[in-house]
Amino acid sequence: MHRKSFLTLLVISLTVCFASANSLPADSGSVCSPPLSMSILSKLALDGIAGDYVTVSAEIKNISAKTITNITTYLSLADEETKLPVDLEDWSAEKGLFIGTIDAGQKFPLEWKIHFVKAGKYSLIIIAEIQGETNVLTSRVTHFAVSPKHNLNPGQVLPVALGMPLFLLVIMMFAAYTRRSRLMKSQ
Amino acid sequence: MNIAVKTENLSKLYGQTMAVDRLSLEVKNGEFFGFLGPNGAGKTTTIRLLTGIIRPDEGTAIIQENLPAGSIEAKLIAGVMPESRGLYEWMTAREYLSLFAHLYSVHNAIKATDEKLSIVGLSHEKNKRIGAFSRGMKQRLCLARALINKPKILFLDEPTLGLDPKGQEDIQILLKALNADGVTIFYSSHLLNEVAMLCSRIAVIHHGKLVAQGTISQLQEQTGLTNSGLKDIFLKLTGD
Amino acid sequence: MFKYILVNELRALLYTWKSMVWFLITSVIFSFASYLFLTDKELSLLDQSEMLWLLSKVIIGTALMIITVDASSTITGEFEKETAESLFLTPLSLKDFVLGKLLASLSLWIAIFLIAVPYIIVVSAGSHVTAAFIMFVLMLGTMLILGFQMMIFGISFLFRSSKNTLTTSLVILLALVLPATFSSTLKNNPLSHFLSVTNPIDNVFSSLDNVLVDYQTTLTGNLKYVFPVLIFCFAAFAFMLYSTKLFKRSGVVKND
Repeated sequence: MHRKSFLTLLVISLTVCFASANSLPADSGSVCSPPLSMSILSKLALDGIAGDYVTVSAEIKNISAKTITNITTYLSLADEETKLPVDLEDWSAEKGLFIGTIDAGQKFPLEWKIHFVKAGKYSLIIIAEIQGETNVLTSRVTHFAVSPKHNLNPGQVLPVALGMPLFLLVIMMFAAYTRRSRLMKSQ
Repeated sequence: MNIAVKTENLSKLYGQTMAVDRLSLEVKNGEFFGFLGPNGAGKTTTIRLLTGIIRPDEGTAIIQENLPAGSIEAKLIAGVMPESRGLYEWMTAREYLSLFAHLYSVHNAIKATDEKLSIVGLSHEKNKRIGAFSRGMKQRLCLARALINKPKILFLDEPTLGLDPKGQEDIQILLKALNADGVTIFYSSHLLNEVAMLCSRIAVIHHGKLVAQGTISQLQEQTGLTNSGLKDIFLKLTGD
Repeated sequence: MFKYILVNELRALLYTWKSMVWFLITSVIFSFASYLFLTDKELSLLDQSEMLWLLSKVIIGTALMIITVDASSTITGEFEKETAESLFLTPLSLKDFVLGKLLASLSLWIAIFLIAVPYIIVVSAGSHVTAAFIMFVLMLGTMLILGFQMMIFGISFLFRSSKNTLTTSLVILLALVLPATFSSTLKNNPLSHFLSVTNPIDNVFSSLDNVLVDYQTTLTGNLKYVFPVLIFCFAAFAFMLYSTKLFKRSGVVKND
């Protein structure tokens, strides 16, 4: 009885596995990454405070025996707290870097200047795409934290915040006094 | 140079209303010309057409023989006391008048300002705010403004309206003196006695049309009211 | 001859206390905003460039509001108080009249800008974009204000009523300010993107953002934002010319 049950389960499992395998997309069996390797070099230097500028350095290597052309690499940033991608418009002026050719076995350095616009926790990846290829190469995720920058500056703002309205009040009173005394004098 | 003001078929239409209807008249240099008409007859519109404040729909108006009404040259030789007496209430009389002296490019504007204020009897009030002026004082200031450019022709629209008898008399004396000095005066008024006393020639306008013009005796002849005063003549000419 | 109109207007601004009260209110608004930016625990977390950008919005927004109210009554006031007729009886040309009024109204903006400078300096302390930021606020603000003034003057000549002019101008101001406050996500739609790139207020703020965030402090680096503001100015000028032509045709006094 026990052996019978076991055999039944085995048959069911094999059937399910077979069915699952058949239901995969036709091309999924042919998935293969581009013949490139990519690594982020500046992973530890990325933490900073809001307003800072840091440079993200990476390296891309042609690990095949052939020359690869038309490679585009770009950054992708996600906010770990909101779980949403970040619009890089204000973060980096150069979102994508185009590499014409990398010879077999050669490396190519990559650099992005990033402005830490807003405090928070972020994850960064670099994506490389070869023109005409279906699959892309992604770097591993680099996590970094941008700490807030406090701009507390009450010492400087107070004289201006109080002084300017007072200064204008004095001008108003002076203008009124001058006109009044001029009119009184001439009468 | 004998013609001070000349209009030919001057017309102005406001919506469906003919405010001025083919008006043709002539005022000679040195004349004290009275311009009469009931309310809404088109007196103010005519003065506005003659001073270039509005444009005619038809006809022509010329000033001093050949200057088109409203041209810079015509504005330089004309003084106007319009119906609307808008004044900058926050200014003093002196500041106000000197602004106009500058706008007319009057030589030695401050001196001219003080002179005109003295002529209209506002010397002592020159540094007072216009907002504090009485109606009569404002009228005098408007007259001073009309005189600031030493005009050859004066267009006056109800200049003594709202003034007390003393104020009216002062202005009448001043206008007579100006006319005696050769200034042509185009005088629009409701006060028939005043017009009869001051004006050498009179035109009567009704519904925008000129109904009569001439000296008082000529108007008496035209209406057949030989022994009547201007009031009766006016009523006969403008009675519908 | 415009200088007499200008001087007269400046005197009116000073002697009638109108401008002085405006300047005082302006300085209180700037004081309030900058004090909050730099002392409030939450707001002081904002990046300095973001603070400056917000301050520029406060400065230009306040100026636009004050100029709209002032310009709406500058020309129409002459008709409503019946002072226009006496002015146009003199050899004063319409061109000089408008120029004098325009410069007087622009002087209000210059005064508001001068009041804003100390606040900008305090909020941007330690930043290296202070000078460029001040120059861009002055340049873009002047262009924007000038465009608005010409547009409002054009409306004034059409309506000759301060109430109607003010209402229309405020509606236009609101219609331009509101889309400028939309987030960039909302501007992805082709229509809203088109409205955004043609909206002068939006372009002024985008240019200031470009200066503060991307350090594009040259005029050429901001041409794509400055150009639409310039086009707005030319359009406002053309509209003003058109309405002055209509004004000339109908006369200084519209009806008997």
